[in-house]
Amino acid sequence: MSVFMDLNIIAIADKAKLQSTIETAAHLGYSTVAINYVVEGQQKKQLIPKPQPVAELFEKFPIVQGKSRPIKVLNRLTVVVTDASHFRLANAYKDFDILAVFPKTEKLFHAACMTYDVDIICIAATEKQPFHCKRSPVNGAIERGVHFEISYTAAIRDSTMKKYTIANAINLMTTCKGKNVIVASGAEAPLEMRGPYDIANLGLVFGLSEGDAKAAVSTNCRSVVLHGETRATALGIIHTMKRPQPPSEQPEEETPAAKKAKTETD
Amino acid sequence: MEEKSASYERVVYKNPSEYHYMKIHLVLENADTSISAEEFKYLIISGLKDLYGEVGAAIPFDVLTFDQTALSAILRVFNSGLVKLWSALTLTGSYANKPCAFRVTQVSPFLLALSGNSREMEV
Repeated sequence: MSVFMDLNIIAIADKAKLQSTIETAAHLGYSTVAINYVVEGQQKKQLIPKPQPVAELFEKFPIVQGKSRPIKVLNRLTVVVTDASHFRLANAYKDFDILAVFPKTEKLFHAACMTYDVDIICIAATEKQPFHCKRSPVNGAIERGVHFEISYTAAIRDSTMKKYTIANAINLMTTCKGKNVIVASGAEAPLEMRGPYDIANLGLVFGLSEGDAKAAVSTNCRSVVLHGETRATALGIIHTMKRPQPPSEQPEEETPAAKKAKTETD
Repeated sequence: MEEKSASYERVVYKNPSEYHYMKIHLVLENADTSISAEEFKYLIISGLKDLYGEVGAAIPFDVLTFDQTALSAILRVFNSGLVKLWSALTLTGSYANKPCAFRVTQVSPFLLALSGNSREMEV
């Protein structure tokens, strides 16, 4: 079984609070979290925030409950697009492990599904989605391996938002039939986090089947992370990395080894 | 002596329990807020009512134990109401206008299973 991930923890300036949120995530059993930087495309000159190096966040990363391994932290950027010009194919996004886009209109939703080189398409949680998710762009996105994200924190905060979140989620589920969906928190405080099994159960309320609901917090998130990695490679086919140097052995001793083996068999 | 051929019996264990038991605890922002068992149950019922309306508030469940110091409890609910109760707990986010969270530690159809937690065992 795949490990649990929560790919949406809002980046906040308050470092201590962010740390305690990540600690809570580790305690709840999430093996990977992503710190989410949100960029509104409103301004003329869009400023892409520099992600904080993950290593600076903790001296010692908290241990995931039941795994005895430290939690893995990624960086993620969410671009809110209200106009087609807001999303650029720039290299500016390459600092982030995961790239998400939040389209505000139907046209942009279509473009995001079919052409944008992103990993996640966000579904509105705080307002009624102003358009209907059509089958053709959604199928296109599924084919390209792009995932849809529903965040649940808004539903915890407010009862009206709860209505919108559930309505938008069910709207999406009827179109995508439970495929390529992830459920993430979008939490800013530790008390807004929920455990992975709670979310798998919440997925049932959103109209997912039991298997899909569990996949939404585990395997699908893994695909997103891998999809994010392939963005940095040549079409996801070639990936180069530095090989760790093996502990050096004396090459002089290696040549007689064959000889020695021969004499032994005699 | 005629040996009787061994006969096999296939036993299929169908879950006979009509209840599920949940071990939960409530996390509050202010750790020393005291809460009575009645208030605790009312909080859960209002969570159910928020999400599922009057019909949801009528889902039968029991608070079997409640520990006032640790704010932990064991709930018993009919299998049919488990998903609803659990999702209502998940989406409960505030108590007396202060943030709170229900942490579901264990869910099992057997009460005995809640006596220990393998995840907290020190090996």
